Amino acid sequence: MAALAELTALAADRTAVAHEWSAAGRPVAGYVGADVPVEVLTAAGFLPVRLTGDPDTPPVAGDRYLGRGLDPVARSVLTRLLDGAYGPLSALVVSHDCEASLRLFYAVRELHRTEPGIALPPVHLVDVLHLPHRTTTRYVLAKIRQLRTQVERWKGSPVTAEDLAGAVAAHDRVRSLLGRVAGLRRTRPARLTGIEALAAVAATTALPPDRAALLLEALLAEADALPEAGGTRVFLTGSSHDHPRVHAALEEAGLLVVGEDHDWGDLLHHRLVDPPPDPALLELALAERYQHNGPAAAAASIRQRAAHTAAAARACRADALLSYVRVHDDAPRWDFPAQRAATGLPAVLVDRQPYGRIDLDALTALRTPGVAA
Amino acid sequence: MTRLDSARRATRHQRQWFEDLRAEVEAGAPLALVNADAPQEIFRAMGIPYVVNQWWASIITAKRQGQDHLGRVRAHGYPDDSEQYNALPLGGVLDPEPDTGPWGGLPRPTIVLGETTGDAARKVFDVWDEQPGTTFYALESAAENAVPPNWWELMPHRWEEAIGSDRLDLLVGELEGLIRFLETTTGLVFSETRFRDVMDLVNEQEEWNRRTRDLVAAARPCPLEVTDSIPSVMVPQWHRGTAWGVEAAKAFHDEVAQRVAAGTGVGVDERARLMWIGRGLWFDLDFYRRFQDSHGAVFVWSMYLAIAADGYLRYGDDPLRALAARFATFSDQLYTPPWSVEWYVKEARHHGVDGVVHLVSDDPRGSWFTTRGLEAAGFPVLELHADNVDARTADPDTLDRKVRDWLDAVVLPRAGARGG
Ligand code: SF4
Ligand code: SF4
Repeated sequence: MAALAELTALAADRTAVAHEWSAAGRPVAGYVGADVPVEVLTAAGFLPVRLTGDPDTPPVAGDRYLGRGLDPVARSVLTRLLDGAYGPLSALVVSHDCEASLRLFYAVRELHRTEPGIALPPVHLVDVLHLPHRTTTRYVLAKIRQLRTQVERWKGSPVTAEDLAGAVAAHDRVRSLLGRVAGLRRTRPARLTGIEALAAVAATTALPPDRAALLLEALLAEADALPEAGGTRVFLTGSSHDHPRVHAALEEAGLLVVGEDHDWGDLLHHRLVDPPPDPALLELALAERYQHNGPAAAAASIRQRAAHTAAAARACRADALLSYVRVHDDAPRWDFPAQRAATGLPAVLVDRQPYGRIDLDALTALRTPGVAA
Repeated sequence: MTRLDSARRATRHQRQWFEDLRAEVEAGAPLALVNADAPQEIFRAMGIPYVVNQWWASIITAKRQGQDHLGRVRAHGYPDDSEQYNALPLGGVLDPEPDTGPWGGLPRPTIVLGETTGDAARKVFDVWDEQPGTTFYALESAAENAVPPNWWELMPHRWEEAIGSDRLDLLVGELEGLIRFLETTTGLVFSETRFRDVMDLVNEQEEWNRRTRDLVAAARPCPLEVTDSIPSVMVPQWHRGTAWGVEAAKAFHDEVAQRVAAGTGVGVDERARLMWIGRGLWFDLDFYRRFQDSHGAVFVWSMYLAIAADGYLRYGDDPLRALAARFATFSDQLYTPPWSVEWYVKEARHHGVDGVVHLVSDDPRGSWFTTRGLEAAGFPVLELHADNVDARTADPDTLDRKVRDWLDAVVLPRAGARGG
């Protein structure tokens, strides 16, 4: 189980590889949100590291600049950014995956302008949008080109078509492997716990894609030796989880998270770029991948979400649906009634939860005998 | 002080207009429910009656039906503490007896138009979309890296430069789709000459608002109460693109001009000029008046007249692109730093205010930067934390005391020193 242990360690210590990378004189780019096209960063020689919050550190600075009416994860990320908790970052790319990320971008942009004494990396917003329309595709394509131009400026030289194609292939390989890893907990009995699956995904967002792929392949190779994972099989919807604490609490309480539809889980990797043979269409393929990836709670319609959740819960052989919603993460609560109806499973909404914690008393409905695994 | 005629006329017009609209829809006309931040001018040009979501929310609140509307939203399993303002009209359509709503209730819309702003606003419209006979037409809410300096100077003519072409291309494409959708589903015609006419009328109306704003900014004492200026400017705003709208904006201007010429104030010895930042405190409109009597502190500014003056003017040969330019950055102008911050500072200077009361509600809209920007420019700022439509979250006594203490300790001494 060496690969699993290493992935878990890298998920927890997310600056380990970034420090190696910086020490070798190579640039590290922090990024916020699953909508950042990491391929463009990889192609330019950056190590893309997805930034996580920390539920244990009070988000003092984040609360000051963003107010307390915003998803605490964004408040925590800004706090850690200002504390230098991510190590040296050559650049910061923020996506518009939700309102909190957008507000975080505005705050960093404004701090650059008004508080030049504060050390913050140069920042760029990549405005990937998600309405399922041709007008949106054209817009996202323009935003991908804009990001490429910005990254070239940071790098000081062009990102070639070959570089980009190589990066797309490398990240697609990671996505395919993550899909196979997710399969390990869909079986009955499951071979991977929710917390292990979460760690595998998280680790790949702090590693160069080639190294991530090797570790995932090693994990798949040792899968037969993994112990069976037990517990009531639940599908997790609602807020996203950049930290394992909630999964840990759930699994300690006898639940097994067999799938989820947030972007630190299956939603991060279920769609590939899968570029067409004509290299001239590569940026367009990237645009379509990021536009149509999802459906994430903050960007999708109630109907899309419900259909996706129902199909995914079935594919994961879930026996129950749990919607976990953090305080000030408003979108998932609107999704829940339709998700419950569409899945037809016993379902519980646990909302207004503090970052990194869950009120387990609210879950009794999921642990009735009829639902037990 | 007597109420402005224009305010009284506007309110009366609104009742009659709504009655006519109900009759028209009953007779088979389509009805659009349009979010305030989304383009309404296309409906105007095509002769499709429409109601603005936020306006209807304010009527529900004014008739004290907010809590039962939110109660119905909750009863359907949706949150009642998320997007309350946008969600109030939804509570009406979920009513098994919709006629019991204010003014006879809002007829069921055939189309709902809204931007996908924030994370949850679009979900409210998704629920509308589930209602039989109603379609939600969604617009993106896009964002950009670059910030134009002094956008209020650039916008009327140089909007392409201020906004950037990507966002304009996107919204123009979406509006072309909207026109085709409306043509197809209603059988009505979109006439380009008619549309140009509507766009001209809107610019004409907003030019009147600009003159009125400048009058109010320069006048000492302040010629009108902010609670009067809100209906005088907002009701005509909901009728943008009509001759009535232009006339109403002009009448409002003329009435203000008369008062300024006569030196009429709001009936108190004006000792401090205040700016109000944030949405209106709809549940407590007397709030604004209380400090006139006790402290001679007059609210001379709210965003409603000011954004009408600076936020809407768009000239140019391509009317659809000009319309896109009116709305592509609508929320940036009010809520995105530094767009909003610099504008508030410019308006505070323009109006010579002595202090700023800043309503900070739970939705995060760059409040820290707004307060900081105003303070850096030398204006004292009092932050109040409340949500404007939900009386449950605000305690009037606390708000009152805070404002009084701040006026005594900070604003009046400063205004006194400045006034000599
Ligand atoms: S000012 Fe803006 S937020 Fe307020 S009601 Fe009008 S459009 Fe809506
Ligand atoms: S004050 Fe403004 S929002 Fe309220 S009813 Fe009058 S016009 Fe409408």
